[in-house]
Amino acid sequence: MKHLPKHLRPRWRYLAVGIETWPDAEVGRRAFQRALWYGAGNLLGDAGSADAGLKLLSFSCSGGSGEAVVRVRRGHVEEARAAVACVSEVGGDPVGIRVRGISGTVRACEERYMRRAAASSTQRDVAFGDAERSAVVCGDAYDVRTESGYVGAAAFDIE
Amino acid sequence: MYEAVHAYPDGDATVARQAMTAARYGYDGIVVRTRAALESGGGDETGGENAPATDPAAIADEHGVDVVDAVEIDADGPTAASGAVGNRRADHAVVCVVGGDDRLNRYAVEEPRVDVLARPNAGGGGFNHVLARAARDNEVHVEFDLGPVLRETGGDRVRALADLRKLREIVTYYDAPHVVSANASSHLELRAPRELVAVAAEAGFDGEWIREGLRAWGSIAARNRERLSGDFIEPGVRRGRYETQR
Repeated sequence: MKHLPKHLRPRWRYLAVGIETWPDAEVGRRAFQRALWYGAGNLLGDAGSADAGLKLLSFSCSGGSGEAVVRVRRGHVEEARAAVACVSEVGGDPVGIRVRGISGTVRACEERYMRRAAASSTQRDVAFGDAERSAVVCGDAYDVRTESGYVGAAAFDIE
Repeated sequence: MYEAVHAYPDGDATVARQAMTAARYGYDGIVVRTRAALESGGGDETGGENAPATDPAAIADEHGVDVVDAVEIDADGPTAASGAVGNRRADHAVVCVVGGDDRLNRYAVEEPRVDVLARPNAGGGGFNHVLARAARDNEVHVEFDLGPVLRETGGDRVRALADLRKLREIVTYYDAPHVVSANASSHLELRAPRELVAVAAEAGFDGEWIREGLRAWGSIAARNRERLSGDFIEPGVRRGRYETQR
């Protein structure tokens, strides 16, 4: 089909979204997009959700942290922000989520808010509580494996 | 702006991790509701020498956010709650009483030593004009818990939203003090202030009102810290520079 004339094309805003999970969580692109649409549908209703758009353009998540670019219709950014904040779990794994920033172009969004390479995570044994436990270390963040699942700790707790 | 969080051993993240995340999200401080998580609550003895950091001042220095030690009293009835409030008031900057049934809600708003009535709608508890007036007169802040709005789905969330709306109408009419929180039990459940404002706006709240509720945690902590400090004698009376220690 022929392109729309410029004044009729929809205007977009691009949200840079930061994602955090436990290190063993498997969060896929499709699952995240579905969670986003469900979150928007439940919070904003079908009409509001259709207005906001919320299309996932790029997504990467591994080892407990990730990031995504979400496309939103201009003028519906606050609704989109609310819908993003309501994503509390993806496929049963709890996620921490935050809008890092908003840009008018995908390129600006990636240059300004995306870290090129995610900080690499390593496995280490640390003393936590009364025992030696294995932990996944990513920068200052330590996710310590305990009997009842992971516990989030910081470098300050371990030293 | 401050956020009130649960920390390990009550939640899934230590105080330091919550502070680190809160600093990244742009909060000025966190209020730690878990009694055993900080030194003054007795957290030091429980964990041994490798226990997570428990000194609020050191964590605050490390991560650049204020760490307020608070306590959340979850009692079966007013009598037990009253005993716990008496015991804890002198050690903690913020004292919250978990509501959720009619008698506890009533007790909390009528007790000036209580700072915050937490989760008044959580159980089958109700809130009405009598409680709102008492809360205003005793300066007990009523908590608006956005946790269920962020994390529940379906009927539970609808009920939580309906309760929040009713609570808002009563509290704003009588101008009772309020606080707002996402009630996060791990760093993954924490949300940035702008996100909370956006979600609350969808639920019909005014943005500035929510920010006021987030700031209120900080002003409660500042007021009570001053009262707990050695220089405080009574409102308006402080130990001056001519007074010597006896």
